[in-house]
Amino acid sequence: MAVQKKRTMSPLMRQQRRWGLIFLSPWVFGFLAFGLIPIIASLIFSFTDFRLTSGEAIQFNNFENWRRLFTQDTVIKDAILNTLRFAAIALPLSIVMPLLLAALLNSKYLFGKSIFRTLFYMPYVVPIISAIYIWRGMLGTEAGWINRILAEIGIKGPNWLQDAAFIYPALNIIGLWTLGNAMLIMLAAMQGVPTELYEAAKVDGAGPIRRFFSITIPMISPVIFYNLILSVIGIFRYFEVPYILREDQSANQAATMFPNVYLYKEGFALNDMGYASVLAWVIFVLAMGATILIFMSARFWVYYGAEERD
Amino acid sequence: MSTKRYFFAISVLFALILGSFPVFAQDGPVTITWFVGLGAGGQPEQIAAQNAVVEAFNASQDDIVLEIIIVDNNVAQDTLGTLIATGDAPDIVGPVGLAGSNAFAGNWLDLEPLVESSGFDLSRYDEAAVDSYRTDEGLVGLPFATFPSFIYYRRDLFDESGIPYPPSAYGEPYADGDEWTMDKLREIGMLLTLDENGYNATEEEFNPDAIIQWGFVSQWTDPRGHASLFGAANPIDEDGNAYVPDSWRAAFDWFYKGIWEDHFIPNGAQAGSDILANGNAFASGNVAMAHTHLWYTCCLGDVTDNWDIAPVPSYNGVTTAKLHGDTFRILNSTEHPEEAFEVLTYLIAGDAAPQLLQVYGGMPALPELQEDFFATLDETYPQGVNWQVAIDSLAYADSPNHESYLPNFRRVTDRIGEFQVLYENTPGLDIQAELDALIADLQVLYETADEESSDVDTGVGSGS
Repeated sequence: MAVQKKRTMSPLMRQQRRWGLIFLSPWVFGFLAFGLIPIIASLIFSFTDFRLTSGEAIQFNNFENWRRLFTQDTVIKDAILNTLRFAAIALPLSIVMPLLLAALLNSKYLFGKSIFRTLFYMPYVVPIISAIYIWRGMLGTEAGWINRILAEIGIKGPNWLQDAAFIYPALNIIGLWTLGNAMLIMLAAMQGVPTELYEAAKVDGAGPIRRFFSITIPMISPVIFYNLILSVIGIFRYFEVPYILREDQSANQAATMFPNVYLYKEGFALNDMGYASVLAWVIFVLAMGATILIFMSARFWVYYGAEERD
Repeated sequence: MSTKRYFFAISVLFALILGSFPVFAQDGPVTITWFVGLGAGGQPEQIAAQNAVVEAFNASQDDIVLEIIIVDNNVAQDTLGTLIATGDAPDIVGPVGLAGSNAFAGNWLDLEPLVESSGFDLSRYDEAAVDSYRTDEGLVGLPFATFPSFIYYRRDLFDESGIPYPPSAYGEPYADGDEWTMDKLREIGMLLTLDENGYNATEEEFNPDAIIQWGFVSQWTDPRGHASLFGAANPIDEDGNAYVPDSWRAAFDWFYKGIWEDHFIPNGAQAGSDILANGNAFASGNVAMAHTHLWYTCCLGDVTDNWDIAPVPSYNGVTTAKLHGDTFRILNSTEHPEEAFEVLTYLIAGDAAPQLLQVYGGMPALPELQEDFFATLDETYPQGVNWQVAIDSLAYADSPNHESYLPNFRRVTDRIGEFQVLYENTPGLDIQAELDALIADLQVLYETADEESSDVDTGVGSGS
């Protein structure tokens, strides 16, 4: 059947197919060069003694790096625990805050919606590195705006970035700045909920809170699911903020040792690309595992109207 | 598409591919790449000066094109490592000190044959200075800039507390007739440490949770640098075993007590906060004395006209002023060693040298350049800094140097850094027990050092 189709392809179709492939080729080459080949290479490197600055040929060291992971390395366990501690605050925030902001912007009672929408989204377009430096100033002990505002109301602000008890709240405050994108996606989803559902609920006597939890949340649950997946993967990829904030000898070296920071340290600071590759795979497996769990849970709480109709 | 068009497109593509391979490129001037970032060179005025040097060199001849790569110090090691690994290594690296170069041990070119073939005159330098660059890899550098260390102090903070300044020359006693020792430094450091109510650290009412001014900081160095105030050593003995001398045990007691009991040294959290300029403590204006190097003239921030320098105090009758020395090095992967050496000599001893030394704040290794160097510094800091102290500090340089090579250098340095984070941030430690744990870990790291790193001179026994 397929052979028959191929034989009957017109010259115009063949030309279109050729051009289609030509236009696709930059992505294909990009994926191979910067995606698939490095992924395969990192798996191979994880069995070697690859060091960046060594003039020696790369040697296979069998399972030495993997043996180290399972029998010696305590830092990766701490790094995963740090991720869990951070996620305990970051994950709910990354879903609840955009949801609340989107609900606010979707409210017919809010004045100047477009101004608020722009204001909430604007931080997202600020380059993350600049944002981190801005926040480092904002969170300063003496001159930081947050502590100065707290001082105005008689509260002595903490040492946000150096005190182990405050570093995760500080990291999450910085993270709140980039919620604009998630908020916009949720807002679009909310605006797509059919109004007749709300009208029917109103007729049945449902109040605003009941309507929010019984109509809005279920109807936008695929979008919440999508944001949750992105947030979980983002947490495992968490790097720029702790990397910049952890000065060489800062008090929070241990608390800000996230898996990606550890990977970077092993690969580039300690020059052990072999072990860094192992860590890359650990992060991948963890992120993949968490994603699979969320996918498995989806059938219990994500509502797909189309599936229902099928 | 017609056959002609296909042929044309393929020809253009082929030409582009060929052109990208150096072997097919047209003959022309040799390109030498200069990598900046492992040491000084990242400040705006330094970048401008380095770019001017490159421009002047390229304008002066047609055989070599000098290109410069300037990266931030924080990422310099990673960037250079990546460039070496990908086969894009630069030819020249610098300015770089011992610590920066140790991370790339085994990658430096022996300059001895080039010195001989070019007739470069080494007799212009102090022989010991040249010998300090001779390692098992050969002559890996030529003297360029030295950065003696000493005590920077704020005159105004001493005046406000009514405390006499430190001595103005090595061998002089303190104003009260006592010897200028580490104990004396602690004593006046505590008097200069003030809380928000104006109490100093020796008074009962003093509140250590509300300090606004500290007496002393040993700035921008690691535990080896801290301990060097109590004597020169390297945590490895001649048999390659980990150890620390008694003087260093006393040093860590002194520092730990200074941070957590006497409170005249800021702890890690205080040093990293904005009250101490996020790590640049002395420049914050809230520290009375700092031990650091001549290169710190780069970074004094707003503290420009009310500071001076004083000798390093002694411990048990011995004065040790740790020394930094920066130079330019050539990577042994260079394809153009002669041309790279020509550029290197231009940077360290040619027309570029005075300009670079000035912006790096490095005391010239060439004696004939030293007078002009300090004259220019006086123009920047007209308050009359006692530069003779800087010159005299050279006589008390640490040997072995506190940045000497150690086997398994990167991991050992990382472990030593962990020790620093611990004692600067954790009250209530048994610091001697922590030191023992450090030694035990270092021993393991030395034993697991690979061959590549284990045959490089550690400075122990050689006096380098």
